[in-house]
Amino acid sequence: MSRLRSLAINADGFAFDPTTGDSFTLNPTGLLILNGLREDLDADAIAARVAERFEVSADEAARDVTDFLDTLRTFRLL
Amino acid sequence: MTPLVVGVSGINAVDNPGPGIGVARSLREATDLDVRIIGLAYDAMEPGVYMDWVVDDAFLLPYPSAGHDAYYQRLRQIQERTGMRVVIPTLDTEMPFFMQHRDALAADGLATFVPTAEQYRLRGKDRLDELARTIGLALPRTEVVTSAEELERAVDRIGLPVMVKGAFYKAHRAHTTQEALVHYHDLVAHWGYPVIVQEIVQGDELNVVAVGDGEGGLLGRVGVKKMWITELGKIWTGVTIRHPEMLRATEAFMAAYQWRGPMELECIVDGDTAWLVEINPRFPAWSYLATGVGVNLPARMVRRALGLPEPTPPDAPDYEAGKLFVRYTYEIVTDMERFQRMITLGERGDTP
Repeated sequence: MSRLRSLAINADGFAFDPTTGDSFTLNPTGLLILNGLREDLDADAIAARVAERFEVSADEAARDVTDFLDTLRTFRLL
Repeated sequence: MTPLVVGVSGINAVDNPGPGIGVARSLREATDLDVRIIGLAYDAMEPGVYMDWVVDDAFLLPYPSAGHDAYYQRLRQIQERTGMRVVIPTLDTEMPFFMQHRDALAADGLATFVPTAEQYRLRGKDRLDELARTIGLALPRTEVVTSAEELERAVDRIGLPVMVKGAFYKAHRAHTTQEALVHYHDLVAHWGYPVIVQEIVQGDELNVVAVGDGEGGLLGRVGVKKMWITELGKIWTGVTIRHPEMLRATEAFMAAYQWRGPMELECIVDGDTAWLVEINPRFPAWSYLATGVGVNLPARMVRRALGLPEPTPPDAPDYEAGKLFVRYTYEIVTDMERFQRMITLGERGDTP
């Protein structure tokens, strides 16, 4: 989580990791999830935000959050 | 006020650039230092010779390998012509000369800020194992070889592909033992023994430029991630980073070796593992990045070498991560006269 917290993220979804120099581009869903993680929300709460913001079903939002968390683990950000 | 005359070598701003132009630019940008830059060149066609907005005058030198006496005398001639008070060697092959003659040069009024021969030896590519342990970094499997037979055995033990590296310069990737042998013979012919055979590790290339104060501390340091490199492996685009492990290793190096002068820590970083590649005993060619983010290492070094006061206002205490470094190419069109003077007189001719 410390790497997630140290990411510099702009409003357009460009994220820069000052430790490694890696940079990432986030879509609006990813940006919403990432900001939720940085606020220490759990996966269910973040999925609820995704469902509300993008008007998708709870199941679909939960899948999006799970997929995104996997992606963060792949990049060793979680 | 009489300007401070500083000699800077490595003004070969080519596709494998020497560090000199970045160092010279940094000195020019130090507002408290009124400098006159003397470019110390080995070839009349080094681009820095013609970059008169960075280099005030340029002189040809013999290669240090041609004999220390001739090199020393040439430096003294240039000193007499220009009033040069400081020399910043930026090329690996110059280091043995400047380390050996540091005291004599100082007695003759030429200040340097270089490590001792012992400090230099301890960070050598043939001592990486001990170095990595001392500063707490991982080391790819590495063997130091001095014969083709040893090379073959090292390749067998490490496994292909491997990096084959010269004692001073150059590193080649080899996918077969035959390829490794070709690189070995080429490196020995150019740079002598030993040759280093190293396991290839995957990850990002992260480097740190720093200057040690010679008493275990730092005059400053800046980390970079190479984002784009040339076919020769030289950085073309990079970004400042603050990798805690590498910054800690840099401090550990200074504390352990009491390093005096500039250095470049090269690492490959994969997740939490930082692999030591090598420590270069000089400024890297990208060192202007540090100046660009407020850490003017050449200026700090010159002040320390001459015992000058810190600037007012003082330098920024640290730097920001996320600043981009972009190199570019450029052309100069000029008269043949300067080239002719370099060839015939060994100097550009801009010293009255």
